[in-house]
Amino acid sequence: MGSRSYTLRKVLHAFITLFFVLIFNFFLFRVLPSDPVKFLTRGAGLEISPEEQQELLRDFGLDKPVWPISLTPPSFTADNQLFDYLGDTARLDFGTSITVNSGESVLGLFLEFMWPTLLLVGVSTVFSVLLGVWMGIRAGWRRGGVFDRASMGASLILYSMPEFWLGMLLIILFSANLGWFPNSGRETLGANYTGFAAVADSLNHLFLPALTLTLGYLGEYYLVMRGSLLDVLGEDFILTARAKGVRERMVLNRHAVRNALLPTISLIALSFGFVLGGAITVEVVFSYKGLGGLTYAALQSQDFPVLQAVFLFASAAVILMNLLADLVYGYFDPRVKEA
Amino acid sequence: MRTRTTRSLGALMAAVSCVGLLAGGAFAQSSESAASDDLTFIVGYTQPPSTLNPFKAILTSEYEINSLQYPLLFNFDQDTLVAAPGGLAEELPTAENGGISDDGLTYTIKIRSGLTWSDGEPITAHDVAFTYNTILDMKFTNFTNYLPYTDSIEATDDTTLVWSTTKTTSAPFVPPWIAIVPEHVWGRYETKAEILDVNVNQDAVVAGPFQVTEYKNDESVTMQNLPGESYLGEPAIDTLIYQWFKNEETMVQALQQGTIDFAEDVPADLFATLEGQEGIGTNVGAAFSYSHLSFNQCYVQSSCTAGDDASSGPAYMKDPVLREAVAMAIDKQQLVDRILRGYGEPGTTMVVPSATFWHWEPTDPIPFDIEGANALLDEAGYDDTNGDGIREDPDSGEELTWRFDVPTDDGDRVKATELIAGWLGQIGIDTSPTPVTVAKITDIWLANDYDIYSWGWGPDPDPDFILSTYTTDQCKVWSDTCWSNEEYDQLYAEQQTASSEDDRLAAIQRMQEIFYEEIPQIVLWYDNDLQAYRQDKWTGFVPSPKPSADGRGGSLLFQYTNYSYLTIKPASAEAGTVGGSGGISPIVWVGVAAAVLALGGFLVVRNRRNDEDEA
Repeated sequence: MGSRSYTLRKVLHAFITLFFVLIFNFFLFRVLPSDPVKFLTRGAGLEISPEEQQELLRDFGLDKPVWPISLTPPSFTADNQLFDYLGDTARLDFGTSITVNSGESVLGLFLEFMWPTLLLVGVSTVFSVLLGVWMGIRAGWRRGGVFDRASMGASLILYSMPEFWLGMLLIILFSANLGWFPNSGRETLGANYTGFAAVADSLNHLFLPALTLTLGYLGEYYLVMRGSLLDVLGEDFILTARAKGVRERMVLNRHAVRNALLPTISLIALSFGFVLGGAITVEVVFSYKGLGGLTYAALQSQDFPVLQAVFLFASAAVILMNLLADLVYGYFDPRVKEA
Repeated sequence: MRTRTTRSLGALMAAVSCVGLLAGGAFAQSSESAASDDLTFIVGYTQPPSTLNPFKAILTSEYEINSLQYPLLFNFDQDTLVAAPGGLAEELPTAENGGISDDGLTYTIKIRSGLTWSDGEPITAHDVAFTYNTILDMKFTNFTNYLPYTDSIEATDDTTLVWSTTKTTSAPFVPPWIAIVPEHVWGRYETKAEILDVNVNQDAVVAGPFQVTEYKNDESVTMQNLPGESYLGEPAIDTLIYQWFKNEETMVQALQQGTIDFAEDVPADLFATLEGQEGIGTNVGAAFSYSHLSFNQCYVQSSCTAGDDASSGPAYMKDPVLREAVAMAIDKQQLVDRILRGYGEPGTTMVVPSATFWHWEPTDPIPFDIEGANALLDEAGYDDTNGDGIREDPDSGEELTWRFDVPTDDGDRVKATELIAGWLGQIGIDTSPTPVTVAKITDIWLANDYDIYSWGWGPDPDPDFILSTYTTDQCKVWSDTCWSNEEYDQLYAEQQTASSEDDRLAAIQRMQEIFYEEIPQIVLWYDNDLQAYRQDKWTGFVPSPKPSADGRGGSLLFQYTNYSYLTIKPASAEAGTVGGSGGISPIVWVGVAAAVLALGGFLVVRNRRNDEDEA
């Protein structure tokens, strides 16, 4: 199978999956045991008549048939909730928030919360990947050495430690005792910093939550990379390379690491796919704005339009990163294209 | 080869150093621009608003912020919380000043002149009439209770408001907690849906003394002192910021670090650690709220027995003896001591004791008595016939195994349900508390799909609204239990139309007595609002209502008045300065960036060199 058809096949699979997610998302919020009019009007001081209820349903298009096809009697209607939903989604129109920020556009709200998340979780993922992979290679290459034993112990401790707890320890040390970093928020309120001072202020606020997540994620990459490298080092082609007199560093860089990276690539791609899921526990500990908190608030208050958009974007991100992983995988390991 | 490597690394380091110097210069420049004489006061709280549209206000934070932007007709007295001048009205209407007509059906209220909205338009009686009529015409039920039996409300000129009712009512003296909005802005919206859709989270046309200038979802609300004197006076602080925290521990640490000036609603265990700390002032504020245990009492109303939302509660729950036994089995003092760490008091009725004038206290309170409760149940025939430790209803034979829901919005209540379940177990009632989300408990409550549940209220200082929630017609609207009592309903109407304060008081106290005897709900405790602030930086707080002799009971902020925001002032030169949140210097960040770049560059060059050597 050629490279082009491999790519096409993967892209097609991704689109099909995305379509199923879209449909699933549509039905998920229609099977929930909740009356849309009730949650639209609750707490808003509305005492509405049946006519007004009907009007609300009409405004939101909820008086239309759910499906385009009806069996009793058999008929087809183009004016239905499913087609409306698909059309709105294509236009990136996700409606307005009901409770999280009443009346605000869901897309605007999502984007507002997305950037802090991308910064926090994105930066943490990049650092944990770089550090974890580097440590995994070093530890695997010198198996049983001081670095291997020390890094293995540290990684296992960090991997098994709840992130919120690690965050609290870091706050106690770096914020409460040493006073080096602020313990909450994304900026110093009221300071109105500009230019580079504003950037430094953001970095100061980002440091502790990002460090928490980096340390929390680190162990995963370390363990996978180390294990994968150890497997590869036992392969015959490594023995062959050494027998040919190839220098040890070349054996590591050109032969061992390239092959051992394959499982790590999948892991990295999936991790980046989950960036949009946010990091709820760390966001709570550091009172840091993010998609994790938005999702939690929307769940608590049944803000279905916000939830629907968050679910969709989070799923789309995972699908996209999976696709990327497949394509990169094909590049690193040409054998998969032949499969 | 080696030479090239060294040179590359050297060039890289030099470049990074240059960037560092440039950035350092930029920092010095921007720091200067950030410095100002603005006096900034930062309040920390864990409850961000959902909207600042005054017609949709529900949360405490929404009321607190809106009350600093929009005026009320009357203010609340600082000490007693009854109606007082200080709002838009010149004075309270009385028969003597011609404000109350002879038949008691018409109030004529003089509105202060010379006040303006933030866009320069005058504030007039027409704005008050427009706001109240909008509430009534469009049925904003959050507020309609404040305007009972209203026939008409009109502005006869810019400074005269005439409010006519079909029955005598003490409504103006509640006073109506309705934010007055400018007619020239809000009058352009024709339907209720349009009004509910208005987003006025920042830069709205307001009366002051503050105006929200920046609204950051889930992070902060920044308010600026409007130029000129507002209807409330002129505050000393220039910028007022509310920072929303996602957990109380972080909020308390921020107070200790000095990044916030005031922490609202501090949990009892953290509050205890703050007491006596240098530079920190603590305040045991008013008990404006209560927690309760509610029994499903949905029997009378037709909606309780038919339809999709018919009650799923057990029929035997209407037996008052059973409810009395449960009340006897709950040690309220222990709940206050163990859960609230003593920062509260055992509950009795739905009218909080902070409303000192209206609160009724039983002379012979129900004691905590497990043996007595067991004896009551034995006598009423609730026996445990199969010996499994759970009593059965004598009529249906059903075991007394109850669903027990509690929302997770208040950790104290969740903890209390575990203790309560233990006590109920000792009198043969089996319950297992289930923590649920606020949305879930709302569904359960409105559908009457529960046996017992625990939740809470934070009522107004005037008891009218909270008393109304226990009337029969509030079932499936605001009623906690769908309890129905004819005498209570009648007394509620009577207190609304009482011609004298004494008559109203008598009716309200009798209503509390009926509630306490019938026990549709057990009021577990009144919890104090625990507050902490930087007393080394700020002074001038005015407690409201008046604290008791032990200094407890007056809130410093989050009052029913705005007195403190107007009076707080710096206690030291440190007050109002920002930027003390910690954090390393920008120069160090440049150094870190330089080190990372240098290391990366070094590794890349070294690898390339190795590859070339190998080749």
